[in-house]
Amino acid sequence: MMAAERNPVSCYLDERTFRLCCQLFLQHSETIKDGWSWEQIKGTDEGFMKKTLLIPVKSSVLHEQPESSVQDEDMVTDNIQANVEDETAGVQAVCEIHAVLRYEYHVLYSFSYQIPVLYFRASALDGQPLSLEEVWRNVHLNYRQRLQQGPWDTLTQQEHPLLGQPFFMLHPCRTEEFMKPALDLAQAENKRVNYIVTWLSVVGPVIRLDVPLSYSTEVSAPD
Amino acid sequence: MADDKDVLRDVWFGRIPACFTLSPEETTEREAEPYYLLLPRVSYLTLVTDKVKKHFLRVMKAEDVEEMWLEYEGTPLKWHYPIGVLFDLHASNTALPWNVTVHFKNFPEDDLLHCASNSVIEAHFMSCIKEADALKHKGQVINDMQKKDHKQLWMGLQNDKFDQFWAMNRKLMEYPTEEGGFRYIPFRIYQTMSDRPFIQKLFRPVSPEGHTLTLGDLLKELFPAAICAEGGWHQR
Repeated sequence: MMAAERNPVSCYLDERTFRLCCQLFLQHSETIKDGWSWEQIKGTDEGFMKKTLLIPVKSSVLHEQPESSVQDEDMVTDNIQANVEDETAGVQAVCEIHAVLRYEYHVLYSFSYQIPVLYFRASALDGQPLSLEEVWRNVHLNYRQRLQQGPWDTLTQQEHPLLGQPFFMLHPCRTEEFMKPALDLAQAENKRVNYIVTWLSVVGPVIRLDVPLSYSTEVSAPD
Repeated sequence: MADDKDVLRDVWFGRIPACFTLSPEETTEREAEPYYLLLPRVSYLTLVTDKVKKHFLRVMKAEDVEEMWLEYEGTPLKWHYPIGVLFDLHASNTALPWNVTVHFKNFPEDDLLHCASNSVIEAHFMSCIKEADALKHKGQVINDMQKKDHKQLWMGLQNDKFDQFWAMNRKLMEYPTEEGGFRYIPFRIYQTMSDRPFIQKLFRPVSPEGHTLTLGDLLKELFPAAICAEGGWHQR
């Protein structure tokens, strides 16, 4: 499916290739201690990749306040750093010190669309789940306009198809849009890519999931 | 499809008599009478229970009211499943009317999706339609339809208008046998005895040898536990 010799490059992924790509991805995650694991569904050969992350955020991100000072890319830690060092800010700085959010990411395979799908849920450390609005406020400013284009809003609350619980999901109908250029480029350079690495590197950052660069260099495509 | 019109109408106009009672946990200013309603099987709870909400809001103070949610015998009801599916799943063996409990607080965040407005229901419904068409026609039919056609489909469901709905839905249900019919059959097998909410797999309507397959064939292949050894049906 991912052979560079094939023309045109398919944006679709069959389930076997999905599992193989995940296996290779997970091997590298193990090497760099990136925290991903495979969750198998009991009694089946189906499963998904999972990772949990603790993300510090300004507490203003959780409560409804205008984000006047949020400009640069790393909107979280840089601003907090600045506030802590600015002694004249005094009490103001203390009030802006962060809460910590727990993000749990699941990478599943969609049989209907033949692509991977990213599900996630987010909560405060006390277990209180984030609302869709709060999750939106955590989406990087650069991505918000693209996500809002619809027609069926790209970031929605959905039932997890294997666990039956509410999660948020990045809608799969956008996948072809951003995978195609990446896959075409790889083919042009006669490279074979690991679909999951390429795909997750694109969708992950939208919802605060970082995929270290070493995945792109160290993880191969399945045979 | 024309021959099936009677069947289609019977499915569309299927109703479940329900009795809504306010949970004793709710704080009320006075006693609330139960509210009776005929629920359309093909619709969604949050789309058809506005009257239920209004009825119970009359006896409650605004500050005690959060998002309404429904429950049957301790199980929160997933509004994003069609009403008929919920009834068949949870209460098909019990006497009518279906006794549903209404809540306005302690929303079960781990069980239910939020439903802030009708546009959430519309988005969910259209996303199901789209996924089904991805399976049937690789999405070609739904993507060729115009936005106003999608809207008509939704409005037909929302306003319980069979003809308006089927004017659009018939395009999605076209089964061109010359082209091999549907690519895959869109189906879900719902179950209560497992974490996994439903079984959904790829299933072609025609065998590799060219035989048209039946529901029985599908179950035999994907959910054999539903069919017991003697060839009969399991009571679930």
